[in-house]
Amino acid sequence: MNAETKIPGLETEKIDRIASDILRPVRINKVFIIWTAFLFIALAVCLYVYTIQLRKGLIITGIRDFTSWGMYIANFVFFVATSLVGMLISCVLGLIGFKWITPLSRIAEIIAVAFAAIAGLVIISDMGRPDRLPYVFLHARVQSPILWDVTVVTTYFVLSLLLWFFPLIPDIAVAKTRLKGRPAFLIRIYEILSFKWVHHAEQYKILRQAVKILILLIIPTALAIHTVTSWLFAVNPRAGWDSTIFGPYFVSGAFVSGTSALIIAMYFFRTNYRLKDYITDFHFERLARLLFLVSAVYLYFNLNEYLVPAYKMKKFDAVHIHELFTGDYALLFWVTQTMGLILPLILLLFKRIRRPLPMLIIALFMFAAAWLKRYIIVVPPQGHPYLPIQYVPEEWMVYRPTLMESAITLASFLLVLIIITLLSKFFPVIPIVETAHEEKENEIK
Amino acid sequence: MKSNRKRSVRFRRRSISLLVLALLVVVPVISQEWLVPADRQGRLSTFAFNDSIEKAGLQLYNLNCLSCHGNPGKGNYQQLIPPPGDPATEKIQRNRDGEIFFKIMEGRGQMPSFKNTLSSGDIWAIVAYIRSFNSGYVQTVMPEITSGAYPGALIAITLRLAAEKESVIMKVSAIRDNTSVPVVGAGVKLFVKRTFGLLPLDEEKITDDNGMATFGIPPDLRGDTTGNIRVSARFTDEEKFGTAAKDTVLQAGLKVIPVSLVKDRAMWNTLRKAPWWILLSYGLGVILVWGFIIVVMLKLRDIFIIGEFTEKENKREA
Repeated sequence: MNAETKIPGLETEKIDRIASDILRPVRINKVFIIWTAFLFIALAVCLYVYTIQLRKGLIITGIRDFTSWGMYIANFVFFVATSLVGMLISCVLGLIGFKWITPLSRIAEIIAVAFAAIAGLVIISDMGRPDRLPYVFLHARVQSPILWDVTVVTTYFVLSLLLWFFPLIPDIAVAKTRLKGRPAFLIRIYEILSFKWVHHAEQYKILRQAVKILILLIIPTALAIHTVTSWLFAVNPRAGWDSTIFGPYFVSGAFVSGTSALIIAMYFFRTNYRLKDYITDFHFERLARLLFLVSAVYLYFNLNEYLVPAYKMKKFDAVHIHELFTGDYALLFWVTQTMGLILPLILLLFKRIRRPLPMLIIALFMFAAAWLKRYIIVVPPQGHPYLPIQYVPEEWMVYRPTLMESAITLASFLLVLIIITLLSKFFPVIPIVETAHEEKENEIK
Repeated sequence: MKSNRKRSVRFRRRSISLLVLALLVVVPVISQEWLVPADRQGRLSTFAFNDSIEKAGLQLYNLNCLSCHGNPGKGNYQQLIPPPGDPATEKIQRNRDGEIFFKIMEGRGQMPSFKNTLSSGDIWAIVAYIRSFNSGYVQTVMPEITSGAYPGALIAITLRLAAEKESVIMKVSAIRDNTSVPVVGAGVKLFVKRTFGLLPLDEEKITDDNGMATFGIPPDLRGDTTGNIRVSARFTDEEKFGTAAKDTVLQAGLKVIPVSLVKDRAMWNTLRKAPWWILLSYGLGVILVWGFIIVVMLKLRDIFIIGEFTEKENKREA
């Protein structure tokens, strides 16, 4: 291999310093082994539960005649939602020209890739006969939102993976000569994935073009993926789903769950990967403002979604609204709305809160609330159909998630964590070359 | 997730518990013995059951009864409260013919009434089908078609279309010993047989001194492709005049050529017959986005070629 090719416009010392900081966690250490072992063992347990479902069918879940979409579908919606953060950070904020997203964009893309990849699997877990999955394509009906959903989720996953990978190529080239002491297979992977990157000006030009195309494609695709997911519900006349604002309502909710996932991940990488110099208090401050903005928009959609039907109280809507406001879902509903939306909005107004640790706590609450909110959107409307079957056992009417389906749902989270762990452990989690460029620009100023 | 599970267990719906409570009260009432009035229990079929009637009964059973009662003898009826039961079992077979007839006719609770859906002939055919699962059953046929008002006479109903097709003229007569007298003052009804039941035509009429009644035909009554309608005439008071009925076909409706709902392109049709706009927008969208994805992936090759070339150049220089 040749000696290190010089990167145009950047001093080698600067690159050396940043690369050594950012590549420090890229190694297999004890903590990593214990953590991945834990993840895989937990996954094995959950997958064992899934084999029970494969043998016995969906009867092991709480899904019955009334509620045929339970925790699995709520979880699917949540996963699709969370994956939207990639589009928000790298594409929307990047196109506007915010420079501070540089160290966060790759983390956002990793989250997008992980959640989009597993979202498809979550759907399969909701199938009683997963062997019939090919029928979705063999007997595809272009009129059905289910086909659109399969299409856009796949497309978004591929786009997110490419948007994660392309800006990574220069960093892989920088890193491959600086990986002394790492396992040989990793160095080999770096060699292959660098695609012979030599920091040629022409290569940078191609890269910029590719990234620009990807960004322009991801924005409509990401909007489509969650709008279509919302249409899976909104094209039904069911009270509680029959809404014209479900598209933007879901997208705005997605930004809330995605941003809080990003904050949690940022906090983790900052402390565990010792990246305090790169992911600073300033970044948390900025993300706090972003979180406030997206939450305020989401609150606005919530007002529309609940207040307008609650004002009219049409016959069937009223049943749904009462169920949520004062009925049996009231505690869940109000805890989710206050702890996960209203209270954080108030707290985010204070400067003292917009710091890493308080932000982590708020993000954890909002993340959990985002999951529960999907449950509230998916499950309660199915309990009171327009034409209910009558005189059937209570078990058929009331949905109660079982421990087994909770374990299978947990498996999807474990898979996401495994993907995030592997991508962030074996590849630099912060862009090296871009950070160096940015540092230099700041010096000139 | 676990806490969520606990929570939703706690949040059982109050309405559901109320419903269950209501069921606890209602179920014992409903599951009490279903008593048929004594004067209706002894009712008998006017015709003997045979294979072709049982076959007709099978088809009627599959259309109207199967969804709840399941296949007789298989015990695969719906798990409803109260259970509908399998018609082949002793519980149902111990009913007399008239009792089964009455229960199908009138219905109770969850069991619907079929008196406006099926003719008495249809119901007897179903009874015949149900009885075919009972090897010990011996049928008793009603001795002859008699009526209380005209003892010993055979009641005959004739239907004909008025010249302008605006009405159907019914004539009812009682025939005995080769003499025919008009049946006067009898309540009669006329139905049009539709796919899912009987459509009453006009109102109930009383036969005049000539034994005649006239039923008006609405001008927008839809017939089949040739304008035919299947009509069925019967007495309002069957107890008094007997079950005499007249089923016939009259060319009294509009000619309707049915259009198949899956003939043209539509949202509900198959992929091949999907609307153009949705095929195009989906297809073009996928081609556009994936076209660009391939373009972007090909750029990796460009990057590789430039890198390889530069490396060779550098080596030569060295």
